[in-house]
Amino acid sequence: MKDHLIINHKEYTSRLIVGTGKYKNFEETKNAIETSGAQMVTVALRRVNIGQEKNKENLLDYIDPKKYTILPNTAGCYNAVDAIRVCKLSEELLGGEKLVKLEVLGDQKTLYPNVQETLKAAEILVKDNFKVMVYTTDDPIVAKELENIGCISVMPLGSAIGSGLGILNEYNISAIIDQAQIPIIVDAGVGTPSDATIAMELGCDAILMNTAIACADNPVLMASAMKKAVVAGREGYLAGRISKKAFASASSPSEGNFLYNANKKKT
Amino acid sequence: MNIFINQEKKFVEENTNLNLLLKKLRIEDKYLAIEVNLEIIPKSKYSQYIIKENDKIEIIRAVGGG
Repeated sequence: MKDHLIINHKEYTSRLIVGTGKYKNFEETKNAIETSGAQMVTVALRRVNIGQEKNKENLLDYIDPKKYTILPNTAGCYNAVDAIRVCKLSEELLGGEKLVKLEVLGDQKTLYPNVQETLKAAEILVKDNFKVMVYTTDDPIVAKELENIGCISVMPLGSAIGSGLGILNEYNISAIIDQAQIPIIVDAGVGTPSDATIAMELGCDAILMNTAIACADNPVLMASAMKKAVVAGREGYLAGRISKKAFASASSPSEGNFLYNANKKKT
Repeated sequence: MNIFINQEKKFVEENTNLNLLLKKLRIEDKYLAIEVNLEIIPKSKYSQYIIKENDKIEIIRAVGGG
């Protein structure tokens, strides 16, 4: 069965999107990302270090933009003006690519999205023909608003960036998925493979994670686990779960039971 | 003349264009973006842009991020 994720008219067989931050070095970044099977990876934009030999190497020498879809983020932006500036720089840097991950944050302690500035930036970027994948809160009303503006994917947080607390409000994520006509991607909060599976079982189209893999004791092994967790959750969602019941339901037939108490009336 | 590159004060000769500046700084990144006084200069225009006194130049690359 073909079950591909489609973003910006491109088909992806992997529903795991990974970040490239917090790894020990580029070699580890490359190994973990290859193992994760991800086909889309996020990057941030920062200044070149002038005159420092050790910074000669470039992330994009390891993560080839011809092989991966590069999703530049606006991390570090706390208002719409800065976010738009970063998106325009990323377009220039990547040779005209319009795909961006918009994130406008509220403060450094919570790294919680600033919804007002996010909406403002999204509106301007969409008008400027950017393909906006937007990081936001798990508020269904805001998610719908961002979809109506013309974002190509809404990416609600499971919990705070880098927290590893998992999906704190499954009901909100479900509500966002139910109403959406565009891919919903849980971005941030995943700590364990089971967190990823839960998000996928809810019906998310994909998951974006960074810290859970990069900061694991063994990032490459965790990348492998996350790959499987996302696939398991997706297949579980497609297969359709049983409904929850308050009481037991025997798996073995009662008919033909020869044991002494078998045919006694139930109390 | 003095200019600012990534907020650091630097001295460059008159008639330096952006290609020359990158060469002098030994920046060889394939994926770069340059802003001069908050305006993006496209790669195709690097050789045409002659740096002026007090220009504020930002040279941006992709780094690891989530």
